[in-house]
Amino acid sequence: MLETERSSPIYGLERRDFLKYCGWLATVIGLGQTGVAQVANAIEEATKLPVVVWSDFQECLGCTVALLQSTSPTPAQLILQQISLAYNEAAMAAAGFEAEKSFKDAFDEGTYWVIEGSVPSEMEEAFSVSGRSAQEILKEYYPKAKGVIAIGSCASFGNVQARTPNPTGAMGVGEWLRTKGGIPDAAVVNLPRCPGHGDDLVATLVYILVYGKLPELDAHARPLFLYDQLIHDNCERRGHFEAGEFVEKFGDEGSRKRWCLYKVGCKGPVTHAPCPINKWNGRVSWCVNSGPCSGCAEDNFWNDFSPLAAPVPNIPVPAIQGFSAQQIGVGLAAATGVGLGVHLVGQVATGRLFKGGPSENGAAKPKAKDAEGGEQS
Amino acid sequence: MTKVVIDPITRIEGHLRITVEVENGKVKDAWNTCTLFRGFEIFMETVDPRDTWQYAQRICGVCPNPHALNSATAAERAMGVDTVTDNARLVRNMLDATQIGYDSILWFYILNAFDYVNVPNVLNAKTTDPELLGIQDTVKRIATSGQTNPFSNHYWDHPGYVLPPDVDLLLTKHYIQSIQAQQWANEACAVIAGKFPMIMNMAAGGITQLPSLEEVKYYLDRMALVKQFTEEVMWNDLIAVAGAFPELATFGQGCGNFLTWGLLEDKSQDPYKRVFPRGAIFDKQLKNEKCDPNDIKLYTKHSYYKDSMGAGQHPFDVGQKEIEFTQWPAIDGPDMPSGKYDWTRAARYPSPAGKDVPMEVGPLSEVLVAYVAGQKDVVAYVDGVLAAIGQTGHPEVLVSNLGRVAARVIKARVNCDKAAEWGNQLLANMKAGDYECFTEPNLMAEGEGASGYDAPRGALSHYCRTKDGKVAKYATVPASNWNLAPRDDNGVRGPVEEALVGTPVVDPTKPLELLRTVHTFDP
Repeated sequence: MLETERSSPIYGLERRDFLKYCGWLATVIGLGQTGVAQVANAIEEATKLPVVVWSDFQECLGCTVALLQSTSPTPAQLILQQISLAYNEAAMAAAGFEAEKSFKDAFDEGTYWVIEGSVPSEMEEAFSVSGRSAQEILKEYYPKAKGVIAIGSCASFGNVQARTPNPTGAMGVGEWLRTKGGIPDAAVVNLPRCPGHGDDLVATLVYILVYGKLPELDAHARPLFLYDQLIHDNCERRGHFEAGEFVEKFGDEGSRKRWCLYKVGCKGPVTHAPCPINKWNGRVSWCVNSGPCSGCAEDNFWNDFSPLAAPVPNIPVPAIQGFSAQQIGVGLAAATGVGLGVHLVGQVATGRLFKGGPSENGAAKPKAKDAEGGEQS
Repeated sequence: MTKVVIDPITRIEGHLRITVEVENGKVKDAWNTCTLFRGFEIFMETVDPRDTWQYAQRICGVCPNPHALNSATAAERAMGVDTVTDNARLVRNMLDATQIGYDSILWFYILNAFDYVNVPNVLNAKTTDPELLGIQDTVKRIATSGQTNPFSNHYWDHPGYVLPPDVDLLLTKHYIQSIQAQQWANEACAVIAGKFPMIMNMAAGGITQLPSLEEVKYYLDRMALVKQFTEEVMWNDLIAVAGAFPELATFGQGCGNFLTWGLLEDKSQDPYKRVFPRGAIFDKQLKNEKCDPNDIKLYTKHSYYKDSMGAGQHPFDVGQKEIEFTQWPAIDGPDMPSGKYDWTRAARYPSPAGKDVPMEVGPLSEVLVAYVAGQKDVVAYVDGVLAAIGQTGHPEVLVSNLGRVAARVIKARVNCDKAAEWGNQLLANMKAGDYECFTEPNLMAEGEGASGYDAPRGALSHYCRTKDGKVAKYATVPASNWNLAPRDDNGVRGPVEEALVGTPVVDPTKPLELLRTVHTFDP
């Protein structure tokens, strides 16, 4: 709720809570607790709110709906007090030509551009708004944007509509700009998950506000400060994995005890995302609390991780292969680097997992090969 | 004669253009054009039938739960599972209850309110309430910031905005409260299903796991808050809007045929015994007919697919593969849409007279069918609305824009009343030692399954054919194929097109009334 609380720049947040919030943001964007003042100043000194245009291309609106589920800050605090949301088709009052005017006005003022949805690169007629294709809009407005953020897996990588045979040639915004769009050095920050997470977006915007530059990215243009860890490494069920305790079938006794979901298709061992840390919906839960991870933050997961209901191949499993937990830790670190990609080539026709190799500075960096627990074959 | 084009129609899910012809202050003719294609039916072929529900959810991020449910149902039927365990039924109902709670609130306030609530008028309200002053202050700061914002460039000076400033301010407060209220519903969903949107606990054959005692308790607490909001805030706002905008009952009648597959499953798993039972109403005759998702006919003469040549086809036979894109209808110039003008197919249902006719789907259809069936919870709320607007004994006034707005709130209330029942029943089952929630489907079965179960926007059906552990054929007919259908091969308009005809337009440069009519369908 909005209140007349004036001791913090965000109505409804007591000064103490505002600073706590800044502390969380400072930690997320890599400043640590010492950066609280810096973040607080950046937010307080922004006399003009950052203008944000939110475009929707080939999408399902899930990312917009996910943003509406944010709790820190709440959508009301974010949209009414932290940014000036000039254009979002789901939330704005105006429609038609008037909506188009808001879009153009915002770019004249100078705006950050958040994009939800993919580009139908081989079928321009698959999408139109105000009589213009996604391609036309991107070409004209990319050069005018202060920064472009692809929210969710569609805008990042094409997502579900890019599944074979990809009838519309759906691809991520950055990839399209750099290839068919003819802007080889186009910089787009990818925030993939399905749906995209409001926290990721807020943290990225604050990062840009504080540092005045884009965050460091991994090989898939994902901010390292968010995507440098495997789901598997922060999973609350990890202990059961190590102990060899697995759900064998949905609803079995292991399922009641919340054992590891690896055997029923969990993609946690090969997925980089902060889900176990920032969770969802007011942090009450996350996917693996109720079912196997589908790997939605990874490029091409619908093809590479198919079938979702089957286990990821070539993960050394303690109870199955008799490794010690310590060796598994090493083995996994290696497997999630180059090794796994190589193995998956044999499993799926595309073999696009981790194209471009592992990130240079992420936690997924392969450790030195261990004599016993190195690359599994 | 004036041509009016609205593109984009904002505050909806999806991408929509409306073209209308206005003559003597009223809409004479109308066309809707859905401007997005992704090709789900194409890329869902060859997937593992255990995975279809994951794909299907991505059809709509506003209502993924019923897509997941329909898809899992169609796939499990194809793989030999005809009914799920009672616990799976209860959890699926609980998930749908959160979906309906959230979606009704989202629609009533976030997608619909700005058609009636004049935000800049909030500044003219006189108040001493600190909370309302805070909201007024925020609106003022945004309105005078000089920056483009969510309220920019709208026709706030339209004479259709008639609410006094203090009511506009109060409804703006409820708008902000509604954001938190819809979050409660989705937190209830997430505690069982991992997250929302895109749930993670569905499975072909039931659900992945049962929620724990604590999780059910959390669910019940959250849904109690949602129930309270629908009763104490949304219901009163509905009555206020109905009273302030009596003209809502006078236009937007539509095609007069109503279809629902039903929703919220009964213990018997018989679709005619659902909380909102399955049924169809033809030609405004308040009498229910039976209906079957396999009897749908799709027409494509005016859609960007191979022409159906006058013969409606089963969803399996109208694949998205046979694309025949011609051109977008012209925005400028006098030409009205003709030939093919829509990515949506025209869904039709055979009437008792044997003619394929357009059907309106959505809460109004669900409420009317339940009312005719004598579903007592629905009857009580319908009578309550009719009494509040001085129309006791005249349910036919609901066949209008007003009825669509009211039906959404009625649906939400019936649903919230039931949510606790299912949660408590689940607890009782577990207490009695019943933990069954999953039936293993036969992955290699060769079979076909169909599922018809309404989403927040209305009738939704999925169809799945399996062979050798893969999907051999997949089809889906969502609410937009019904409500946002283009003309069929006989030139008969779809329900939204028909509802737009006759809508008064005071000023063609500010077509607020068109937005109101379109939004009542929650497209």
